[in-house]
Amino acid sequence: MITIVELSKVLGDRTVLKDISLEIVTRGSIVGLAGPSGSGKSTLLRCIQGLDEGDTGTIYGLGYKGFLFQDFQLFPHMSVLENITYAPIHVLGELDAENNARQLLRQLNLEEFADVFPGQLSGGQKQRVALARALAMHPDTLLCDEPTSGLDVVSIQDVVRILQTVKKTGTILVVASHDLEFLSSIADRIVILKAGQIVADLMPQAWEQDLKTLKQYY
Amino acid sequence: MIENFSHYAFFIASGLRLTLILTFFSLVFSLICGVSFATLRYQYWFRFVIDGFVSVLRGTPMILQLNFFYFAVPGLLGLPIDILTAGICTLGLNSSAYVAEILRGGIESLPKGQFEAAKTLRIPTWLMWKDIILPQVFRNELPTLVNEYITILKDTSLISTLGGMDLMRQSQTLAAEKFDYFGPLCVAGLYYYLLILVVTHLGKWAEKRWCHDNNR
Repeated sequence: MITIVELSKVLGDRTVLKDISLEIVTRGSIVGLAGPSGSGKSTLLRCIQGLDEGDTGTIYGLGYKGFLFQDFQLFPHMSVLENITYAPIHVLGELDAENNARQLLRQLNLEEFADVFPGQLSGGQKQRVALARALAMHPDTLLCDEPTSGLDVVSIQDVVRILQTVKKTGTILVVASHDLEFLSSIADRIVILKAGQIVADLMPQAWEQDLKTLKQYY
Repeated sequence: MIENFSHYAFFIASGLRLTLILTFFSLVFSLICGVSFATLRYQYWFRFVIDGFVSVLRGTPMILQLNFFYFAVPGLLGLPIDILTAGICTLGLNSSAYVAEILRGGIESLPKGQFEAAKTLRIPTWLMWKDIILPQVFRNELPTLVNEYITILKDTSLISTLGGMDLMRQSQTLAAEKFDYFGPLCVAGLYYYLLILVVTHLGKWAEKRWCHDNNR
């Protein structure tokens, strides 16, 4: 559960977030954060995660939040398996972390890459490893920053499939993306940001007929 | 001539032990202090102290620091300090300032996202440094660190000014005894050069092994 109350953030002379109030409570749902570049989507996600701080306002959050970085941020000196098992072993003290990791790799079609280093993977594969790393920590909420950025069509389909699978486990997913088609294909709710403000908070019926409903806010 | 050189080589080799011991312990000392300085700098209160310390160590001549440790510190502490300890403290601390700066550069060149990824995975700070950040920094900065350790090896010769019987001092002793500077200095130079070749090759081997094995 995430509750944001009147969150504002200013960087220099630019208002990045302005009076954002938002409540995300439904378990097993995907909330899309849409908006043009520079609208504040990533900053909002980073504030929810605690990587950035707002100047005013409050964020309440329950449970552990995982974060999927736009540029993956895998640890380059560790193999795929080590990337996934490191935190579960050292933070959660999980004894069967390796088995869990291998299971995740199987689900993400990455089984044969367990001993490979991130530098040898394609963008889509890195994205899936990053997802596996985040999921291995059993997050209650998963925050995804532009998960399809730089990916080809097939990889995007993979990401859609995976996020929908994650959703079924009861995890709350908050996905920031400027790709409306992608968001409309997975989200149960889309919040549109423009110049740091929420300009629309829509449910699927708003875009099921026509994506133009969403595009008008851009 | 060749007979002279072999005699010189044999005599000067007795200084190898001190040179190698001094190099090894200074290297370990500088690595421990350098890593500590570089990482503790990220704690707000340590930053000013460490920056000041590093600035002084880099801003004063090493020979002055060596004399300070050997002649001034014993007076302050009321304890005698032998040449080897003074040498290790001086070379280790002086080099640690440079190592700290090398590592700082390496840390700052890493993407901020690596720290953030560790934070989002709730990895404790010390594990983040030990397993996530420093291994990457060491890989990236290994050639620069090898250079720093070559400098340590060469700077061990300063201990001869205090009377430490290292390679340099042995060559000076021999030169004074034989009234021949050319031969002993050439032989000492050759020893230093060979030692540095070994360090260089070890560094290159380590670079190949650790820096280029995973297509980062």
